[in-house]
Amino acid sequence: MDAPLKELSKLEKLVSNATLPKAKSPSINDSLDALLHSLEEAKQRIQSGTATEDTYTSISKAAETTKKDVDERQKEIYNSLARFGKALDKKFTTPLPSYPPLFTSPEAEYALEHTIALHFLRTGQLNIAETFIAESGLSISQETRSRFSTLHYIITELRRPNIAPALEWTKLNRPFLHSRNSPLEFYLHRSQFIRLLLSSDTTAALEYVRAHLVSLSSLYPAEFGRLMGCLMYPSRLRESPYADLASPSLHLDLEPMFAKEYCASLGMSRQVPLRVVGDIGGGGALARIEKGRKVMRERKSEWSQSDELPIEIPLSAENRYHSIFACPVSKEQSTEHNPPMMMQCGHVITKDSLQKLSKMGGRVKCPYCPQESQLGQALRIHF
Amino acid sequence: MSSGRLNTEGIMLFEQPFARVPYENYRKVFRTSQKHIEKELGPVQTASHELTRRAKAGEVNSEDAMKSIDHMITRIESLKRKLSELQSSSGTPTLSVMKDRLQHLSTIEAIQSESEPEFTRWADTRLERWLVDWSLRHGKERTARQLAQERGIESLVDIDLFSDIRRIEDSLRGQSCTEALAWCSENKAALRKLKNPLEFDLRFQEFIELVRARKLEEAIVYQKKYLIQWYETHQAQIHQASALFAYPPSTAFGAYKRLYDPNRWSALIQSFRLAIYNLSTLPTEPLLHLAMYAGLASLKLPACYDPATKNPDCPICDDALGKLAEEVPFSHHVNSTIVCRITGRIMDENNWPLAFKNGYAYSKEAMEDMAARNNGIVTCPRTGESCHFSELRKVFIS
Repeated sequence: MDAPLKELSKLEKLVSNATLPKAKSPSINDSLDALLHSLEEAKQRIQSGTATEDTYTSISKAAETTKKDVDERQKEIYNSLARFGKALDKKFTTPLPSYPPLFTSPEAEYALEHTIALHFLRTGQLNIAETFIAESGLSISQETRSRFSTLHYIITELRRPNIAPALEWTKLNRPFLHSRNSPLEFYLHRSQFIRLLLSSDTTAALEYVRAHLVSLSSLYPAEFGRLMGCLMYPSRLRESPYADLASPSLHLDLEPMFAKEYCASLGMSRQVPLRVVGDIGGGGALARIEKGRKVMRERKSEWSQSDELPIEIPLSAENRYHSIFACPVSKEQSTEHNPPMMMQCGHVITKDSLQKLSKMGGRVKCPYCPQESQLGQALRIHF
Repeated sequence: MSSGRLNTEGIMLFEQPFARVPYENYRKVFRTSQKHIEKELGPVQTASHELTRRAKAGEVNSEDAMKSIDHMITRIESLKRKLSELQSSSGTPTLSVMKDRLQHLSTIEAIQSESEPEFTRWADTRLERWLVDWSLRHGKERTARQLAQERGIESLVDIDLFSDIRRIEDSLRGQSCTEALAWCSENKAALRKLKNPLEFDLRFQEFIELVRARKLEEAIVYQKKYLIQWYETHQAQIHQASALFAYPPSTAFGAYKRLYDPNRWSALIQSFRLAIYNLSTLPTEPLLHLAMYAGLASLKLPACYDPATKNPDCPICDDALGKLAEEVPFSHHVNSTIVCRITGRIMDENNWPLAFKNGYAYSKEAMEDMAARNNGIVTCPRTGESCHFSELRKVFIS
């Protein structure tokens, strides 16, 4: 954006009333003032009766000069504006593609409004959510709303920092957290313990350990050991071997961790769905799809809209939610009717490929290793 | 495949209208200033020449001269006032909007990767901008205003433009062309350049309404005044207009009956909307829709619609987003990516899949972790099958 920004600051200077050393003409305001000045002068002469023919000529000249100067400045502004436009043209070479209207059916419209309402609730913009729900005439159940307001209450408290509401929730959801192997409860206590220690309140920290951490020590023996080590450096934890525990991120990381567990317990996604979709779409996917379309058009091959994208959109690991098995032999994606099959040797190919490779008597030689096995011995794999 | 590095080019594809709308607005400010100057300074020049000429011819008395000079002073002062008002009410604010937006875009140019916290903030703002744009286009102006205000992004969204659109559309809905015609005359040059027939369509509609009301004399005058000038490009319609006199609404048939169709008003709203989007370089679809189209298509898989393979973390598996994704194509994949159903992590050569006897496979990490906590026994969470860790079979994905 450097080029357009540079042109913009030139334009800003040209339209200001400041006197510019480099400009070809004075500011419009100055030009007009000069003319006013000449007119006033002439007026005085006429009043005092000292006006000559030259007085009148000077008015006409002043008007001429001002007109010329103003026109000159306007031309400079016009040119500057045009240069700014050119800088934008250079920066934005591809126009946005035009699509037929999307999401217009009543069902889709409802689904989108619902998604947006939940997005506002999920991101804690509760006032906006209420306005939006009222404007859209949606009905969002009280239960759903209170789920999100609880989430936001707990997170806001965590930021203060007050871990009590978060702890209360983890106590109520212990079996769930245990089944997910989540250290959330231990980490909440750990954060509180470190806070006490950093405020040089060793006695309180020690008491806190007895009251809350000892009972969890068997689950996290190594971590617990390190926390006990911290007690040896009450006033200089930051210079100790445990300096990592003094980092503020220890507490800050609790926020996403809590949100993730909270959402999982309610069957909600760990990321904000609209952000995920928007970031992928707005982060290069649309550009790639358009490029793919263009290539298809140039090859004059049609690409059926509803079927499948003609190109692969790269996704980061955190945006991979489902297993995709592409058969290394046929390159086809596995389906319910053509599932992945594991041969005796452990290599996996799809059922169709397996059948094509089988010889008389149902023997199959693995295409990836020397081993032969029986067709019937292959095991269907569920990823 | 990972996309941690930012695809700036792909991001910028969406930002053209964002940068251009205030630029177009400033061009309008400039044209207005030019008009003021022509209107005031021209007459001053003429008056000064006239005064000089009369002085040379000795026809001037001091009273007349004073009057003429005062007149010029008034004009110049009025010009100064108009220009300074224009600058403070539209010029300066528009320039600062241009600056805010370019700076918003240069922030993203400086960011290298999606993992930077700076990116998260930027992307939050971007989504908020899209939501404001969407709300404005869907008649949810209160949401739009509140969102823009609470998030402090007023200079990054086009609320004024859309309230103008709304005002004009509302008046068309109330079967009045006045506001739309005023807009056309403000943008006459640009519309002519695009060969946009909106103005003729509006005039034609006003004419039809006169005929409908059987105000035939007025209609004749109107036709002469406003329609005939379009003869070159709209010959057929003008002939039709003349013939319409013979067919009152009650007896009209075919093409003439269609001219009386009230649905023509909806079509006018549509043409107006297209014209103003076009002039403001806004896309006809909300930006949110375009981003969602691409985002949903990148993620959509048949597995998202199978209850057995749904994943609550997947956006498409959500009922509402899944419904929207019905309108987009499936994603395309050339290589296998195996995601562990327990950890949600991708399996690879260091974290390979291990299968139970029944064929259900999980990542080595997940199985090792489970074994460590249960004396070496692992249990399939989907089928309940249990065995010792050592009985799991390694699965090779090539």
